[in-house]
Amino acid sequence: MPKNKKILIIDDEACIRRVLELKLKNRGYQVLTAANGEEGFLTIKDQQPHVVISDLMMPKLDGKTLCEKTNPFKIKRPFLTIIVTARINPEERDWIAHMQDTIFMEKPFSPNKIVDAIEKYLEDRNE
Amino acid sequence: MKSKTIGIAFFVLILLGLGIFLQILIQTEKRAAVENLFSKGDHIVGLLSLNSIKDFEGARRDLLTKTLMQSDIHQGIAYCFVHDQTGKPLVSLAINSIATEIPYNIQVNSLAAMGLVHQFFKPIESTTGIYEFSKPIFEKGEKTGTVRVGFKLPPISILSTERIALIGVITFFIISAIIMSYYGFVKAFKPLESFLSNVLNNPNSSGAQLKNSSRSFGIEPMMQDCKNSIKELKNRLEKVEMKNKDLTCKLGIIRFEKNQASHILNSINLGIIVTDLHENVGFINDHMLNLLKKKRSDIIDSPLAQVITDKNFLALISRQQGFENPTGSHCFDITFPNLAPDKTYQVSHTYLTDDSKSLIGKLIIFNNTTREKEAAQAINDFTAHVTHELMTPLTTIKSYSEMLMDGEITDAATQKEFYNIINTETDRLSRLIKDLLNLSQIEMGSLTLNSGRVKSDWLFEDCIETVAGAARKKNISILRRLPDNFPTLIGDKELLKGAIINILGNAIKYTPENGQVVFELSEDESMVVFDISDNGYGISKEELPFIFDKFYRSSNSNITSQQGTGLGLAITSQIVSLHGGEINVESKPEKGTHFTVKIPKKEDYLAEK
Repeated sequence: MPKNKKILIIDDEACIRRVLELKLKNRGYQVLTAANGEEGFLTIKDQQPHVVISDLMMPKLDGKTLCEKTNPFKIKRPFLTIIVTARINPEERDWIAHMQDTIFMEKPFSPNKIVDAIEKYLEDRNE
Repeated sequence: MKSKTIGIAFFVLILLGLGIFLQILIQTEKRAAVENLFSKGDHIVGLLSLNSIKDFEGARRDLLTKTLMQSDIHQGIAYCFVHDQTGKPLVSLAINSIATEIPYNIQVNSLAAMGLVHQFFKPIESTTGIYEFSKPIFEKGEKTGTVRVGFKLPPISILSTERIALIGVITFFIISAIIMSYYGFVKAFKPLESFLSNVLNNPNSSGAQLKNSSRSFGIEPMMQDCKNSIKELKNRLEKVEMKNKDLTCKLGIIRFEKNQASHILNSINLGIIVTDLHENVGFINDHMLNLLKKKRSDIIDSPLAQVITDKNFLALISRQQGFENPTGSHCFDITFPNLAPDKTYQVSHTYLTDDSKSLIGKLIIFNNTTREKEAAQAINDFTAHVTHELMTPLTTIKSYSEMLMDGEITDAATQKEFYNIINTETDRLSRLIKDLLNLSQIEMGSLTLNSGRVKSDWLFEDCIETVAGAARKKNISILRRLPDNFPTLIGDKELLKGAIINILGNAIKYTPENGQVVFELSEDESMVVFDISDNGYGISKEELPFIFDKFYRSSNSNITSQQGTGLGLAITSQIVSLHGGEINVESKPEKGTHFTVKIPKKEDYLAEK
């Protein structure tokens, strides 16, 4: 079933992109990657992924700005945003709580938990 | 005795008054008589001059003369002359010998005049003067004669029956007024006298010393009482003046203290506003005025809402909690975007009470906390960076090991790749921790230099040896440029090596394959100079000022694709400055970068120490 589900991984760390890509491909997802926020924004716009996994601290365009820029797209086609971050302050936690279809996972994260979150989201939406 | 004198004085005053009154009366009568005379004279002369000169000749002259004699002589006419144009008198009427007493110049003036003339003269044997009125007779535009009429000033009589009666009435009223005033005065002062005698009979009274004075009522005791009263008033005035001086002194002290307090409040590096209960500004210090860029006179007594218009500020200042807990104070942050856009102020707001704990106003203090905020922000940013940098390799290690443990990686090559990544990330983590510790020790000043003699050629070769492997992998050649004599320097060999390796390692890391790195050692008068240049990706002009900042990494994708902690150059620059050296950089994108590190030579270093 997940074969046609696109998942975009945005992280400036190649190792993290690599491991998540492998994990999600093993589960049958179609995986896209971007090395910074700007690249990620263009990919979201072009590919309309079902799930976006993004770091917060990134060059060119940080995760928060990226989410704010892409949030209007969710009205057309909702998608899950998973924010992965090493440290989250109360303001950021509050901000994420108010964002539509957005969750966060603290680093170091478990790839299994990410997969669980994605599957739960897709199940809830019957996709 | 005194009353007699006063009586005489009154009498003299009355006489004087009467004299002045009579004098004024005479003057008024005189003025009225003269005015009457002028009017009459003008009238008669005017009437006579209307006649033709022929009317004064022959039989007609006799008729006129007769008329004049009958009707006007008793009205005070002294003489009447009518002259023809040659000056020859045609009519000549005069009482007694007065015609001979008219001065010649009066006659000449009258005959020569072409209009109405008034002249006055005094005959030699007469007590009253004579006014002469003359007017020429004109016929068909030509002067045909002159009429001259002399009038005696009528005697002034002030003692007519009516006047005597009037004077009598006035005198009666004056005398009656004096007598009535005297008795009225006596009656009016009676209560005062009885009051004074009561006061004098009272042994506690200040006027007790006057006990022996005469009790009989009259002007003298009254004057004495007045004197005593004046004395009493003087005493009181002296006491009031003393109190006034005392109050003036106290006022001076209060003013001085107020000025001192104002000076203190103005020299404090805090903005201060004091308002009354209605939130009108009662005091504002210089610091706050500078911040608001306003004049004190424009602000004092103005509502606070007009002085600071920020809505959040006004809402927070007017919070009702303040009245429930009037002794408490409240703090909040505020910015003034138009006046001081880069600054943050912490506002503390306290209710002021008087001795009876009644609210009298508010004290609002503005403390510039921009630096504290910036420092807190810097710490926050640093912590965020450190956490991010530490968590990233940890995430890699955790996720890769999880994948391996779950048996998701089945082929041997990928498994090996994963183990290598875990190993590399562990090294990265360890290097990062070491860098952080070094940086922290340097910044805290707790790093001790293991200083010793360092031969520059050893340092040079050691550095090259460390990076040679990485250079070989990318087929990058390292060109050595060495001097004939190698200088010696004093320092911590390991730290200096670490610093130079950071630069040399970056040169290799950020130069594409088959590139070239030049490493040159030289010396100038006081320094040993290490020049490291490459033909790599270079650094843009915008990014160059930040490369020594902690965790700063270029956004160039050629650089971000390489692993790095963002701490290497920050540590290098700290180590160089610990050794008293300097570090400079020049770079052009896509052309390459040139770092120069200068460390003081042995002699200089020792001399400085």
